Amino acid sequence: MEENNKEIVSLHEVNDAVLMSDDPNLFTDHIQVFTEGRRYRTMLTRKFAERKKWVAPDPNEIVSHIPGVVAAIYVKEGQKVKKGEKLMIYEAMKMKNIITAPFDGTIRSIAVQEGTNLPKGAILMVME
Amino acid sequence: MRKQKPTIMSLFSKKISELQERTAKAVQGGGDKAIAKQIAMGKLPARERINKLLDPGSFYEYDLFIEHDAREFGMENKSLAGDGVVIGTGTINGKPVAIYAQDFTVAGGSLGSMHARKITKIMDYSLRMRIPLIGINDSGGARIQEGVNSLAGYGEIFFRNTLASGVIPQISVILGPCAGGAVYSPALTDYVFVVDKISKMFITGPEVIKSVLGEEIDMESLGGARVHCETTGNAHFFAESEEQCFDQIKELLSYIPAHNQEKQEPLKTKEPLKKYKIDKIVPADPTAPYDVRDVIKSITDNSEFIEIQEMWAPNIVIGYGRVGGRTVGFVANQPMVLAGVLDCDSSDKAARFIRYCDAFEIPIVTLEDMPGYLPGVDQEHAGVIRHGAKLLYAYSEATVPKVTIILRKAYGGGYIAMNSRHLRADFVFAWPTAEIAVMGPEGAANIIFRKEIMEAADPNEMRKQKVQEYKDKFANPYVAAAKGYIDTVIPPADTRKFILHALEISTNKVLKRPVKKHGVPPF
Repeated sequence: MEENNKEIVSLHEVNDAVLMSDDPNLFTDHIQVFTEGRRYRTMLTRKFAERKKWVAPDPNEIVSHIPGVVAAIYVKEGQKVKKGEKLMIYEAMKMKNIITAPFDGTIRSIAVQEGTNLPKGAILMVME
Repeated sequence: MRKQKPTIMSLFSKKISELQERTAKAVQGGGDKAIAKQIAMGKLPARERINKLLDPGSFYEYDLFIEHDAREFGMENKSLAGDGVVIGTGTINGKPVAIYAQDFTVAGGSLGSMHARKITKIMDYSLRMRIPLIGINDSGGARIQEGVNSLAGYGEIFFRNTLASGVIPQISVILGPCAGGAVYSPALTDYVFVVDKISKMFITGPEVIKSVLGEEIDMESLGGARVHCETTGNAHFFAESEEQCFDQIKELLSYIPAHNQEKQEPLKTKEPLKKYKIDKIVPADPTAPYDVRDVIKSITDNSEFIEIQEMWAPNIVIGYGRVGGRTVGFVANQPMVLAGVLDCDSSDKAARFIRYCDAFEIPIVTLEDMPGYLPGVDQEHAGVIRHGAKLLYAYSEATVPKVTIILRKAYGGGYIAMNSRHLRADFVFAWPTAEIAVMGPEGAANIIFRKEIMEAADPNEMRKQKVQEYKDKFANPYVAAAKGYIDTVIPPADTRKFILHALEISTNKVLKRPVKKHGVPPF
């Protein structure tokens, strides 16, 4: 019984016909912004319960988009780089992918070494 | 003064001036204040948008004098110009189109029953006349005062979107908010155009998400133009401004037929530009990346290519170009991004494009260079089996002329999926650099020669040897050529010539499929 209760949470009614807005100026007086909602008792799917909360991506972090190996690093910490400059070769799926600087800046830190095996989403470097 | 008997002429001009007055009032939309507000938000008024998109002076408007029929919440005393939407017909590039544009200055472009009826009227026209339909979305959502009638209106629109799917091109242009149930009309259409900072699409807004889930996010990061182009794949074309967006629509319409049975007149053939040298683009080293779009441009007339969903799943490239004056749909692996692997998103992206090409009789040219499906827990758990299957389904189902060029790597399940002979490609050509095999040399050697490698005095040296042995034997196009799985091995410089010829002799292709109501593709 205790176990079951844990899974029961409340959700607001989701009204799919109305635009919910943070900016009341966006609408003329004919549109009502619906914020009040009904509560439902419900069970959650495992997928929903284990979901990761959304966090805004940090544009300074350069992350791996695919599992692979760092084949070569061309820059040092503290080095200034220009947008499009070669930072490293990241080998994945038999391809030597060239990782380039997304913007003009400085390499704050390098999180990996040549030969490091990485999963998807790992931080390779941090720029500033 | 003697009272003058009204003449026929004066009566007539009175009627004319009444029409002019009514028209002038109706085209004002929400009035100067609301229009000023619309412009302050960086948006154009509805009619101005239509006039910018259509050929100058070609727009004919209908249902200008429509009145809403709401009788609740004081609505009976309110008059809404055109009920918040402009409909009509006109031409783009000299070819007829049907169009509607929601007018945000009138009641926030909210959708009531008459508003919906105007939209469905123009949808019915476009389907009956077999002309493309363009919908400009800029609306706060359902008109709450009209209750279930506005929901009925959405339903009528969705039904027609589905009915028209595969018959006429349907284009959605998101030039403002499009939220809640309203987003499903664009989702049902073929091409969604968005503009940075102006387009907003989501089912539930930031406020609900915050109150229900406690997640904080702003509108732009939740459902802005960039998000739908990069992350969700809901939008197909990204523009910096409304003007740029209209140019993109005109360009797209120049490629696609007006309906599913139109035989497009070929344009004058133009040679590709000299700067795209097809035999200089692809590195011989199979691990070196390159931009496959350069290969496409070295094949198409005048090196022109319009890419669809450029920012989403860029590991596969889709879009239209012309070869010999005829529109061709290109599907190409992009070795520059994620090594060109197939994954959930790229399979979805290519599969839908292939089905569009097939529905509108556009031949498909596939350029193949990929190491296979992307391995990984997240891919498996995201359902790569189900998503990857869509690609197989779409290629197998398509009866339009299908040509495949294998540039370099064609391994494993990906080789089958990328329009192989086995899925009924009409022509499969391979470059001499092609490697067609069940898997890459490294993986294959480790399995086939496991015992030899393990028992060798120097396993690493033995592995190297065996990998080389496998490469020499199988990492080439000639094993597949020996079985007839590819039609011939061609020098890269002859690629355009072979494609031209293949399309030329496929123009009368007839292929019958078993009678069925419709297939059941993996979704």
